Order: sequence, then structure tokens, then C-alpha cells
Amino acid sequence: MDTQAVVFERASAMPAPTWHFLKMNDTSIEVPENLAIDPRVSVSMPCSARGAEDEFEKALADAQEAWEDDHPELSDEERAELEAYRAAEADATYGGTAQSAYQMGADAIEESRSLAVAFEHGVGEEAAAYLRYAAGRRIVVKADVGKMIDAQVIVEAAPETLSVAAIDVVADADSTVNLSIVVDSPESSETSAEGAVSGVAGSTVRVFADDRSTVRITRVQTLDESFSDIDDMGLFANSGARIEVSQTVLGAQSANTGLATDLRGSGARLEIDTRYLGRNAQKRDFNYSVRHHGQKTESDLKANGVLADSCEKTLRGTIDLIRGAKGAQGSENEMVLLVDEGVRNKTVPVILCNEDDVAGNHGATIGHIRSEQLFYLASRGLSQQVAERMFSMAIIEQAAIDAVDDDSRASVIRFGERVEPGFAALFDEGA
Amino acid sequence: MAERKRTQVDDIDRSMYDFRYDDQDSEKLDAGLTPDIVREISERKDEPEWMLEHRLHSLEVYNSIEMSDWGPSIDGLDMDNIVTYVKPPTEQKSDWESVPDNIKDTFDRLGIPQAERSYLAGVGAQYDSELVYHSMQETAAKMGIVYSGIEEALHGEYADLIQEKFMTLIPPTDHKFAALHGAVWSGGSFVYVPKGVKLDYPLQSYFRLNAKGAGQFEHTLIIVEDDADLHFIEGCSAPKYNVANLHAGAVELFVGKRAHLRYSTIENWSKNMYNLNTKRCRCDEEGQIEWISGSFGSHVGYLYPMSILAGRKAQASFTGITFAGRGQNLDTGCKIVLGAPDTSASVETKGISKDGGIQTFRSSVVATPAAEGSRCTVSCQSLMLDNKSRSDTIPAMDIRCKNVDIGHEATIGRIGDDKIFYLMSRGVSEEDARTMIVNGFAEPISKELPLEYAVEMNNLIKLEMEGAIG
Repeated sequence: MDTQAVVFERASAMPAPTWHFLKMNDTSIEVPENLAIDPRVSVSMPCSARGAEDEFEKALADAQEAWEDDHPELSDEERAELEAYRAAEADATYGGTAQSAYQMGADAIEESRSLAVAFEHGVGEEAAAYLRYAAGRRIVVKADVGKMIDAQVIVEAAPETLSVAAIDVVADADSTVNLSIVVDSPESSETSAEGAVSGVAGSTVRVFADDRSTVRITRVQTLDESFSDIDDMGLFANSGARIEVSQTVLGAQSANTGLATDLRGSGARLEIDTRYLGRNAQKRDFNYSVRHHGQKTESDLKANGVLADSCEKTLRGTIDLIRGAKGAQGSENEMVLLVDEGVRNKTVPVILCNEDDVAGNHGATIGHIRSEQLFYLASRGLSQQVAERMFSMAIIEQAAIDAVDDDSRASVIRFGERVEPGFAALFDEGA
Repeated sequence: MAERKRTQVDDIDRSMYDFRYDDQDSEKLDAGLTPDIVREISERKDEPEWMLEHRLHSLEVYNSIEMSDWGPSIDGLDMDNIVTYVKPPTEQKSDWESVPDNIKDTFDRLGIPQAERSYLAGVGAQYDSELVYHSMQETAAKMGIVYSGIEEALHGEYADLIQEKFMTLIPPTDHKFAALHGAVWSGGSFVYVPKGVKLDYPLQSYFRLNAKGAGQFEHTLIIVEDDADLHFIEGCSAPKYNVANLHAGAVELFVGKRAHLRYSTIENWSKNMYNLNTKRCRCDEEGQIEWISGSFGSHVGYLYPMSILAGRKAQASFTGITFAGRGQNLDTGCKIVLGAPDTSASVETKGISKDGGIQTFRSSVVATPAAEGSRCTVSCQSLMLDNKSRSDTIPAMDIRCKNVDIGHEATIGRIGDDKIFYLMSRGVSEEDARTMIVNGFAEPISKELPLEYAVEMNNLIKLEMEGAIG
């Protein structure tokens, strides 16, 4: 079956928007028409780890019950008190509390008391639903209590094809799941006319990490420039769970990365380590949303990238410290190295907070190689141009060094060789 | 278990601002917004034809664009109920004694004449839609400085200059309330500082909105020529009513080569006010703009002074504090455009929210392709004093140039127990420790204010600390 042309206009929207003139609030994700929906996905994991199709929904429903037990509804007396306070507010002020649309929306989600309603996808519900439809059968990785599972999913892109994997990970209490996702275009395909996308590849991942479990996801994307990539994740962490996500974005003409997390249980922790490279006229779009619901939850987002030629990148990172998340800590940090004049970098690191007993911080550093660094490199005989090239290639080299398995390392080396012939020799055995 | 007491910060004591006088002697136009009302405002002011056309064009723009969807709700503001023009029962005076008693008493109680005598080079006072008093020291006049009502200046020797500059930094198409301002603006000041002139004492304009259900739309236009220097202070307040009032002023600042302008504002509108003000500055080569901004009042605030660094080595600094208490949703911050080589900007803001108040820091830093060698640092800190309140930070950076250095950092949280513990280990009582920390939090901003305003700010915040942090 072929695709109709689809454009998701307000995909990867950040929860709290800002001025529209900046064109940073969201992005549009386009799937061209006439692509064959053909998921070229290979999966490697123990048969015992294959879960039922509705494993995720069941786990979330069970968590809902447990959460309701721990968080009873307001008593009639408390509700009356709340209503009276609100009525007084509406009376005493002009237009109520004048909450903005996103503030009211956030309150409505909390008042729904539904984990399913609060669960979000990084690229947005509409785009995620489309990816699930295109992926067809879902890959379900299930780790029983106390078990450790290693799983690998390879998504292969092909011209004129929409190739997507839909993956659910359900990690029971005290279990560990290591999931590696490789999105690659192994057959070297001709670069299409500028602006044209010959194929789309991607993945949509849902994670349910139960009490004290650990889920590690490593995603490496090394697509040729004629492809676009859609990387969607929606994560849920219960008490004491730990989710670590490592994303490496090296290729694709257009790469859209969206990740949303509900740190629901107390002591849940999320770590995100993103590295990216943008070259030529490529587009990179990242949207991260981390909702801290549980007490003493922690999140740490690190993003580092190099932008060269005339590429454009946007990163939206939101840490939401929700009332009740006492002792929560959220941190995000981005470093962007701008290598060429034509690049464009947009960053909007947001902290939303309606709980006082929390700590949130963010930082961003955007700029070129420092003059003292250039001077040092020049004193070693390296011109600025060579130095800039080194920084770009260092991202690829680091990805190859850090690769968690042979397949992802091979895809990174293949990609590096396409960017700079001779790169593969660095990793020849004995080199 | 005994109830733990929280850090307690009193509401701003507004009693000195909440007095009001009957406005039955004032002339009011009908509430709402129509071309006829716009024409009548223009006719009353005997304006040149181009200004009437500008107003009518702005009205068309106002009717054609939507209100923004990202900020605080303005559902409580019904433009059909807002009176856009209220003329007080007097003409503009330059002699304080000639001002009608109730208006004079208003500004006396706000301390304006005393401030003029103490440390100001000139004062303008606006009451509702019109300036009622304007004066400047003779020494400043002899230096060639012009400080007058903008409407008066529209008929004087600077009329062409005003036409050239008026609403060029803030075009009516900028946003809905810029368009509204363009249609119904009234009152405000015009300041012209000639080349090389440095004024040692500040000029101050004070805006008082007395009429119930009215809007105030003053326009401030300041031109600081090359190598000149000026400090301008803007104050504003209003009594509290049980209906919405609206402030949609505009401030346009032009800073010449190597010139310097410091623009200080203490905004203390009453809590029925929708403050939708727009401020913008353009700096030429090596020009400097310093914004000092304190936002304490209003029910809803949208305020983001913008610095356009258009000349090489131009500089901007923004120092701001926002204090949001019960019933307030204050969305404040700034915009920076690095539009030329080697420009630099620094932003330092503090936000405090308490008792259900909502405080948002919002900023944008845009480095254009021409900004080679430019740098900008943004630092914002927010302090939450209870868990009923809300504090959001939404900074955006759009960088289109390689050789720039852009840094941003933000922190949010409450008073750290470790800091209290440290001070207590040095013999400071817990209560005093907390007071010291909150005062220290605001201090980087208050030290930038003129002394009299720093004292006012301390009065405004008036912190009262008790009990343990809970």
C-alpha cells in the first residue's frame, strides 16, 4: 500500500509555547506521497522476551490502580475548600487567575487523574499514531520481574519506502532492558534533487518501566541524505525506575526527534544523552518534554552537537516540575558548536514549575571554536578549516567508539566513510 | 504534628496607591472602539492629517489580527467596556500650583513634586489620557534638551522628526495591542537630547490612571543623539477598581552613536490592570541602552522591552525583577536582537512568586547573520515562596551567525536549607537568615535603581519572614 501525502503541522510541539515569530513552538513533519508502506525491520531478542500486543496498556492500567490507591481523590471537605478558594479567586480578580492556555491545559491533565491521558509522545499524538499505523505489527519487549533482556531492532531505509518500527518495552519490577535501535540506509542510494526526500524511516517507542527497573535505549541513526528520519518516544517511569536514553543523530536530510516522559513514581530518574551532527542543508528538530510527577524524581538532559554548512537545528527542551513533585530535580544542558556561516541554531530550554520544593536549572552555550583553541590548534599546524572538520568528524568517531553493538558500529563507520573517505580505516583492526 | 510555617512574604502594601478621586468632571468618550471614536480623539488634539490616517490604519490592523495564544488569558478584558479617552478637567500646566487640587493632591501623595525638587532635571505627569504637568529645569533647557508632551511637540519644530520616527520601532502590525495603541494613543512624553549633551540628573514621567474602566495609551518617544547621555525614569500606578482597566502604552527609544540611555521603570499598577505595554530601543554604533525594570502590580502583565543593536559594538543590558502575588499573572522578560558586528548584551532577571501568583520569564535572543563577533549572556533566577504559585522560564535563542558567543543559564527553586543552615551556624537567627536571603535575591536589581526608587522597591516588597521553611 502506498502513502498519501501527509503533513503533521504542529508536531513535536513544546508544552508552553512562545512568540510565533520565532517559529520555534513546533515543527511540521511531512511524509511524501507514493511511498510504499514497507517496514524493513529486523528484531533480535530472546523468544521469552516477546510480550503480548497489549502488554503496555495492561501495565499502564495496573499502574493506574496502584497510583489511585496511593493518591486518593480529594475528600468532600477538601474539594469544597478548593472550590471555595477558586470562587474567591474568580471574584477577587478580573478574568479569574488569568491562566494561559497551556497552564489551564496542564491543570486539566492533572485533574483527569489518568495516567493514560498524561502519557505523551514526543512528536505528538497524531504523528505517533500514524507511525504506529505504518509500522503494522508491534514489537513488544517484555522483561519479567528481576530479568535482564537485551534486544536489538534494525530499521532499514529504502528508496520510495516508508519503513517504521513500533516498539513497546515493558520492564517489570527490578528488571533490566537494554534496547538498541539502528536506523540505517545500508545500500548507498543516490542523493535526490535538493529538498526531495526519497524515503522515510523511523521508530516509535513506548516504555513502561516499573518499580526499580532499568531501561537503556540506544538509538543510532545513519541515514543517507535522501531520507528523512522520525524518532518518537513516550516513556513512563514508576518508583525508583531508571531510564537512560542515548540518541545519536548523524544522517538524514530531515531528522525529527521527539521524546516525552512521565516520571510518575517517586525516585524515578531519566538521563538523556543526545549527540548530533548537521551538515549541508539538513534539518534537525528535537523536542524533549520531561514531566516530574513523583517526589525526588530526577532528570538530566545533555545535548551536544556540531552544525556545519547551511544546516538548521531546533531544540525544544521542557522540564515540568509539577505540584507534588517535592524534592525533584531537573537539569538540561546544551552545547552547540557552529562551524559555518550559513548555519542556523534555535534553542529554547524551558522550565515550568508549580512546586516550590524543587530544583530546576538549564544552561546553553552556543558558539564557534574559541579563539584560544584555534590558536593552539594552529600552533600544531592545523588550519581553522581543518580544525572545524575535525570537530565534525569527532562526533561520528565518538559514535563509533561508543556503539553498543557491532551492527550500530558498522552503520556508523559506513556513514563516516561516506562523509570522509578513509574514515573506516581508523577502525580497521590493528589500526 | 504541629503545622509547619512557611516563608511568609506579605503582599505589597498598596494603600498609598489605592486612593482615588471622582472623575465626574472629566470628559470621557464612549466606551468601545470605533472609527468615530478614533476620529474624535484626533480632532480633539488638532492633529496633522498623517496622524489621523495612522490611527485609522492602526484600527484596521487591530480589527484584523488575533490576540496571541501563548500568554496569560485576557478574557477578563472586554474592549467594548473600556473607555479609551478620558480628559481630566485641566490643560497641561508647567506651574505646579495651577494644577487642579485633586490632581495635585494625587501626585503630592505619590511624592512626585518632592522628587522633582530633590533630584530630577524634569518631570512630566499624566493623569488618565492627558499630561497635566510638564516642567524642566532651566539648566537642562539651556543645554538644548527638549522634554515636553509629545502632542505639544507634534506642533513644534520637531514635528517632522516625530513623523519620521513615530511607531517605526513598534509598527501597528507588531501585535494586537500595538495596533490598539496606534489607534487611540494619547499623552506621553517627547525627549530630545542633542549631540554630545550629557544630563547629570534624570528626567521622570509619572503615569496615573484614575478613571474607572478606562485605558491609558501614552506614547513616549526619546531621541538621544550621538555622544549624548540620559537617564529617564518612568513610574506608574492606579487605584484599584472592581472592573478591568487597560494600559497599552508604547515606548520608542533611539540611541545614537556612542550615546547612552538608561531607562528605569517601576510598574505598580493596581491588580485590576491589564498591562500590555510595548517598549523598544534601537542602538547605533557603540550606543548603549540600559533597562532597569521592576514589575510589581497589574492583574495581567505582558512586558518585554526589546533592544535592537543595529550598530557595530552597540550594547544592551536588561536588569529586571518581577514579583507576582495572589491574582496576578505577570509574563515579563526581554527581547534582544544582535544585528551588527561585535555587539554585546547581558540580561539578568529575578522572579518571585507567592500566594498563587504566576510569574513567567520569557525572552528571545536573535543573532542575525551580521552579528559576527557578538556575545550575549542571559541569566534568570526564580524563587518560589510556596507551592500554590507558579514560576515558568521560557527563553528562546535563534542564532544565525557562526562567530558568536551565546550563553544562557537559569535556576528555579526555593530558599535552600543549606543556606539557612550556614547562616544559622554563623549565629544568625532562622528568621533573619531567611530575610537576608530574600533581600539578597532582589539586591542585584535594587542596587541599580535610583536611591529613592530602591527605597520604594523595598517598601513595595516589605518582606515579613516567620517560622520554618515547610
